[in-house]
Amino acid sequence: MDILVSSLFAGLLIGMVLALVALGLTIIFGVMDIVNFAHGEFLMIGMYTGLLTAQATGVDPLFTLPVAGAVGFALGIICYYGFIKFVMRGPMVAQLLGTFGLMLFLRNLALLIFGSEDRSLHHGVLVGKSFELGMGIIIPATKLAAAGLSVAAFVAVWLLMNRTKVGKALTATALNPQGARYMGIPTERMNALAWGIGGGSATIAGALIVNFWSVNPFVGLLFTMIAFAIVALGGFGSVPGAFFAGLVVGLITEIPGFWDFMSYTFEFEWMMDVPMTSFKYMWVYVAYFVIMVFRPRGLFGWKQ
Amino acid sequence: METIKNALDFSDFPRLDLTVAGAVALCLIIFPLFPLSSFAMSTMIQFLMFALYGMGWNTIGGYGGQVDLGKAQYVGIGAYTTAVMLIRWDIPFWVSMPIGVCFAVTWSFIIGYPLFRLKGHYFAIATIATSLVLKDIFEVWEFVGAARGLEISPIKYHPPDFLRLIFREDIYYFYFILGFFFLGILYINWFRKSRLGYQLRSIKDNEDMARSLGINVHWAKIKTYAIATGFVSVVGSFHACYIKNIEPEDTMSLDISILIALMAMLGGAGSLWGPIIGAGILIPLKSYLKEWLGAQAGLVGIDLILYALIIMLISAYEPRGVWGIIEKIRRRKRA
Repeated sequence: MDILVSSLFAGLLIGMVLALVALGLTIIFGVMDIVNFAHGEFLMIGMYTGLLTAQATGVDPLFTLPVAGAVGFALGIICYYGFIKFVMRGPMVAQLLGTFGLMLFLRNLALLIFGSEDRSLHHGVLVGKSFELGMGIIIPATKLAAAGLSVAAFVAVWLLMNRTKVGKALTATALNPQGARYMGIPTERMNALAWGIGGGSATIAGALIVNFWSVNPFVGLLFTMIAFAIVALGGFGSVPGAFFAGLVVGLITEIPGFWDFMSYTFEFEWMMDVPMTSFKYMWVYVAYFVIMVFRPRGLFGWKQ
Repeated sequence: METIKNALDFSDFPRLDLTVAGAVALCLIIFPLFPLSSFAMSTMIQFLMFALYGMGWNTIGGYGGQVDLGKAQYVGIGAYTTAVMLIRWDIPFWVSMPIGVCFAVTWSFIIGYPLFRLKGHYFAIATIATSLVLKDIFEVWEFVGAARGLEISPIKYHPPDFLRLIFREDIYYFYFILGFFFLGILYINWFRKSRLGYQLRSIKDNEDMARSLGINVHWAKIKTYAIATGFVSVVGSFHACYIKNIEPEDTMSLDISILIALMAMLGGAGSLWGPIIGAGILIPLKSYLKEWLGAQAGLVGIDLILYALIIMLISAYEPRGVWGIIEKIRRRKRA
């Protein structure tokens, strides 16, 4: 029973971080109807930024978030003005392959600069510490902090989207770009802003994840696919949807571990042959497929 | 008879195109006579394989306009069927290849039926998801060698073995794949003038209009998807015999799927010559860049950076690819 509760907790915590990963993707999709394959690569860059800043300056990894956010924001805007703007003129195939090209570019640039070995953080106030909540539930402090900070970032973005003038302008651009242009909203700049926010939230999530996950240049694709699944489940373009779907996907990734634990505890021979944890992410893809086919709008989506 | 006549009829192309195509075909046939390195030979075989993959993708992605980014799963199904059958039961290539096609087509029907309810981005990402699910399964499935993959050891057989397609020299593989390549061109030439081909193009232009004209859109897409799958699976089987060492990572990864789609798009999706031009540009570029910059200069990943830049440039400036540029020039000349 402890294990069940414990894996539920772990799932919820990782889910909150994953929700932040998906947030950027859902905003970009909502505002400009383009699927960003390079999203995981933004996250990877955030992880490297967090790691290198922490190592170079010696500050705690948790305080590198503003640096990572700034880098991501700048990167998003550069990508928009330098590349995405031109791709948007073409057909959908060009957009898909264009952002895929961006992904390959960023990934291999990272490979060229940082090399292919895994790197991880070894210092920091929270690294290696954990809380015990009783009932055998142990929560690593890094994950708890990451989850808390992602929720904070999420709330900040939600407030920005719903309570400010800029957020209203973004929503208007998402609903009807032409109408928004007639109302005097600079839609071009709004698109760039969406890419900035998208990139920034991804890199912040990356700087949080690097506290408990080692980084290499190829880490991005997994997160891109998870983010796609979350966005599909929550509904393309829906911010609260992304949060709840993130929690669900977090649980999906943790339950196979629980399943394996059960099969070892009760010695079900047939279940021990293939550990379910090796299918951990397959269930995410299966969930994506099933949701897409049966409810293409997702749980909270408004774009068809 | 009518079908064969249609497949051999290239008369709707301008004479210049046919002259160039004939010259290229002749060069391909006499290619092995030149004294060339084995590296050039394997690059050429890669080119022919990817041209065939691209032609398969072109049916659904080019003529039909459905962006499929999950073709690698069928490469995997074809390759694994052939390899498993050869290693476990010593079944020759010519039997296992059609069986592989059957498996691949069956799987394409199973996932194609729900998949084609989706459109655009949703369809593209869902094809990636199915491909990754299959790859994950193959990575833990002991029967097919899990993540280590399978290895066909040529020592057990007596090359040249025409039944099992096990050879020591690349030249045999070259002529086999060249044969498939010409057959593929004839098939696509027939396909683009067939009923299904016209139906697909009308679906691409306007789906609602096509439906109102009485075309069963869903079924037409599924059928074409199965044709594309068949193409890819045949080459996948060949891949198993040629490479002799298959792993989930290099037969079913997302990179392969994207490369297939990219090639058709670079050359010009929705035209007969597009995928061939695309493969002819990308494959030599990729393998020579890797050889010169990656292996010799020690810059890891720089080949893929240049390659990514090409993708980005093409998608930003000329999404219709090389064939689009050629047609634009022609139109300007005529006007």
